[in-house]
Amino acid sequence: MSSLGKNSPEVPCEFKENLDLLRQTYLFSGFPLESLKVFAYLGTREKLHDGDYLFRQGEDDDQAYCIVSGKARLELGDNGPVRLIREVGPGDFIGGLALLGDARRLYSLRAIGEMVCIVLKREKFSKAVQQFPDQMPRIFRAVVEAVIDWEGRFLVALGADCGGCLPRLGVSLL
Amino acid sequence: MEKAKQPIVRRSLFSWVLDGNLGWQLSLLAVIAVVVFARVLPLEMQKRIVNQAITLRDLDLLLLYCGFYLAAVLLANACKYAINILETLIAQRVLKRMRSALYDHILSLPLSFFRNTQPGTVVNSIAIELVAPSNFAGSAVSTPVANILTLLAFAGYLFWLNPLLAAVSLSIYPVAMIAIPLLQRRANIANQKRVDLSRTFAGRIAESIGGMHEIHGHAAHRIERRKFDRLAEELKKIRIVWSLYRFAVKTTNNLFTGLGPFLVFLMGGYLTIRGELELGALVAFLSAQEKLYDPWKELIEFYQVYQDGAVTYRRTMEFFDVEPEHEREPGDRAPLALDAHLEVKHLSIATGSGIRLLDDVNLELKPGEHLALVGFSGSGKSTLALCIGQLASYGEGQVMIGSQEVARLTKQDIAANVGIVFQSPFIFEGSIAENLLYACDALADERAPTARPSLDDIIAVLHQTGLFADVLKFGLNTVLRAGTHPELARAIIRVRHKFQERYGGKFRDAVEFFEESSYLVYSSVADNLIFGAANREEFTPARISRNDYFIAFLNKEGLHQTLLDIGANLARQTVDILGNLPPDAVFFEQSPIAAEDLPRYKSVLEQLRRRKGGELSPQASSSLLDLALRFTPGVHKMAAMEPEVQRILLEKRIRFRAEVSEDIPGAFTFYNAQEYIHSQTILNNIVFGNLTTASTQAQDLITQNIIQLLIERDLLETVIDIGMNYNVGPQGEKLSGGQRQKLVIARAFLKSPRMLIMDEATSALDNRSQARIQNLLETRWKRRSTLVAVVHRLDIIRNFDKIAVMKAGKIIESGPYAELIDRKGALYELVGKK
Repeated sequence: MSSLGKNSPEVPCEFKENLDLLRQTYLFSGFPLESLKVFAYLGTREKLHDGDYLFRQGEDDDQAYCIVSGKARLELGDNGPVRLIREVGPGDFIGGLALLGDARRLYSLRAIGEMVCIVLKREKFSKAVQQFPDQMPRIFRAVVEAVIDWEGRFLVALGADCGGCLPRLGVSLL
Repeated sequence: MEKAKQPIVRRSLFSWVLDGNLGWQLSLLAVIAVVVFARVLPLEMQKRIVNQAITLRDLDLLLLYCGFYLAAVLLANACKYAINILETLIAQRVLKRMRSALYDHILSLPLSFFRNTQPGTVVNSIAIELVAPSNFAGSAVSTPVANILTLLAFAGYLFWLNPLLAAVSLSIYPVAMIAIPLLQRRANIANQKRVDLSRTFAGRIAESIGGMHEIHGHAAHRIERRKFDRLAEELKKIRIVWSLYRFAVKTTNNLFTGLGPFLVFLMGGYLTIRGELELGALVAFLSAQEKLYDPWKELIEFYQVYQDGAVTYRRTMEFFDVEPEHEREPGDRAPLALDAHLEVKHLSIATGSGIRLLDDVNLELKPGEHLALVGFSGSGKSTLALCIGQLASYGEGQVMIGSQEVARLTKQDIAANVGIVFQSPFIFEGSIAENLLYACDALADERAPTARPSLDDIIAVLHQTGLFADVLKFGLNTVLRAGTHPELARAIIRVRHKFQERYGGKFRDAVEFFEESSYLVYSSVADNLIFGAANREEFTPARISRNDYFIAFLNKEGLHQTLLDIGANLARQTVDILGNLPPDAVFFEQSPIAAEDLPRYKSVLEQLRRRKGGELSPQASSSLLDLALRFTPGVHKMAAMEPEVQRILLEKRIRFRAEVSEDIPGAFTFYNAQEYIHSQTILNNIVFGNLTTASTQAQDLITQNIIQLLIERDLLETVIDIGMNYNVGPQGEKLSGGQRQKLVIARAFLKSPRMLIMDEATSALDNRSQARIQNLLETRWKRRSTLVAVVHRLDIIRNFDKIAVMKAGKIIESGPYAELIDRKGALYELVGKK
């Protein structure tokens, strides 16, 4: 990247922060800087207040989120009371699958207190990916690895106490 | 039905010559008669000057004959000019009519024709290839008549002077008339190839331009260059061959005509020496003989124009000689009002290679019934829908609407009864209103103009389809030019006060108010400095960076260099991120540099790099200043703005206002809660600030409150009306996918058709909008219009009267939803999979 002129000392710049956050996510970590810059540029910041939903269970969503500051609750609420799945915080990247295709949300995500996140829309993402077709295999690889990693960790954590859930395991075999 | 007249593609080239130009051609002939006389007269004068005036030493006679000579030359030239004008007029009239007629013909060609034809080919044919034939038509009467007459007149004069000499000197022309066509035939063959190749060439260029993202994406520039070069090389060769033959025709002709004087000198000299011919007569004969050359040359040139024109014309017309599948208009009757009873019987379509796209499809829908076509992609759903809408031709079987065979109806009959919404809608450049009324306007030509929907109808449809919020947004985002809507502007100020009073505090987070003491992150640097709207052209944002007064102010306050640095940094960052991306709105909506300006800023940066602190060219520094003045940190996130700079700019804001108010009173209207700001959108005028949130939820909340205020003041319709004039850009590029789809659905609904065909018409809509449309179909259109809907998402088909499941071109089961699910057949399986 070109250096800044002498009259432009470094000032915190949203684009650079976005860049730093995105390059730490599983989806973008292997991207060359040239294309990563475009994705960082296309991401927009959104500020949410306590209780605001980023997305809701059952909704079709077409964007991914990367949390810049603050926290959010991942919730699951079928007919019964809403259950907390876990909390997510700065640096977490959520909902990336929605960038690749229609994703019906199976959970809800709500802000806890003030929070800021980068929002990347599918339309922008796919337009940008078209510009860097070489990156497509990398994206698929990243998703595959993430799914397998996830289930691997899940299995380790599961230990012996699964009970009736065994027949439903195997999302990494999709 | 009355048989339409000969289609344009079968018309002969000659039919254009007189058709509609008779008057012009006759006036041309009148001028020609004069010109022939004026061309022959000087010859006689020439003879008399030598034989009479000079021989008799009669000065008066000399002056008289010279006078006649001069008058004849002047007249001949004036007439020649008039002929040129008339020929041009006729040629241009013919060109325009040929183009219109051909375009009209192309518009009615079946869709299948366009699947195999590149747009560039059509453009090339209409824009370029028709020029040569029309040029021929312009001169088709005048040139041969004028030149043959002149030729005959000269020839007659020559015979009158000396029959023997005349016969000898004219003997070369028959020889030329045999030799030249032989060469011309070769030229024609080359020209034919050239026309075909040009068409391919144009098509190939258009194709490459259309696939530019693929070329960039694969860095395939070299492959494309090679493909292009191959064609260009071929075209070069064929053009050279063509030109060589054309010049060969010319050279041969020149050779023959050059021989003329040679024969006259030989023969005439001999006769004069023998005393059988006067010297004056020989001079006259020689001049007349030389004069033969001009009309002859023109005739030969005309012959070439004719041959080239005829070949080009034939080749072009042959290419488009495809029969339209349907009559466009019913002609002598009004479009039929069909009973929306649909029957499809034994419908089959097979491709050339024998694949059956549709295979013995049968179905029946009573008026007002709704049918959902489901199945995997490629099962024939869309093809069936297209057949019903007369957009695909079918080989076997019948499609009947109200007991009329669809294939035999005219396009107007279908349009008057059927509304079609395609899967990937195409929106034309123009306003929302134009696109919305596209279908109605197309019919209104034929039907009574009262068929146009009223504003109330339009607004109702906007609400139904959910487009209302979008149109309102376009309206609210409009910048009203000073003087265009004075009443609205005044009313908006009252709305502004109400908004402040009611919600001012509530939206602190989402709005950056126009406060004099704070730097506006969502306004440009120029707006921050000036903090007002220009009342004079030279101070408008587009020109402020070149305004001497403003630049002098910047220099005096020591801001100029600071701004150039900001501009340079911003240019560097923007070029770094966007430098190699295509000009897509997605990439450039947050960019301070428009796609078309990128090259300019790249070269400015190059200059900066090379000069290393030296002086920039005035253009470069003006570009950087312009960029800096546009810098809006809230939008252009690739660079940050230092708080120190913000503080300085705030200081200078106060100084600028003080100075400019004194120096040029009235140049600006400064932001003031009592005045309308004509440089800002209606929305910004109402909130008296900039929206700072990207969150749609927050924006919707503000819009909701504004709608409330607009309704209270009875302004909503006015703003909607302004929004309806929003220009959607070429191919509707300024609309989102969802907005386009809503627009075409609204367009179909607005026509109130008896029959609706929707091909995955809601696939680009979000859940809420999709549910809204589905609900609308069930409550408003059921039993009113017959609906055939190709549906991809199976969660919306429950309430259709009938479901037809398609597989490999066949309907494998059909019936009401519950029945099919109970049957546990194909639909049950499909639903289970989803």
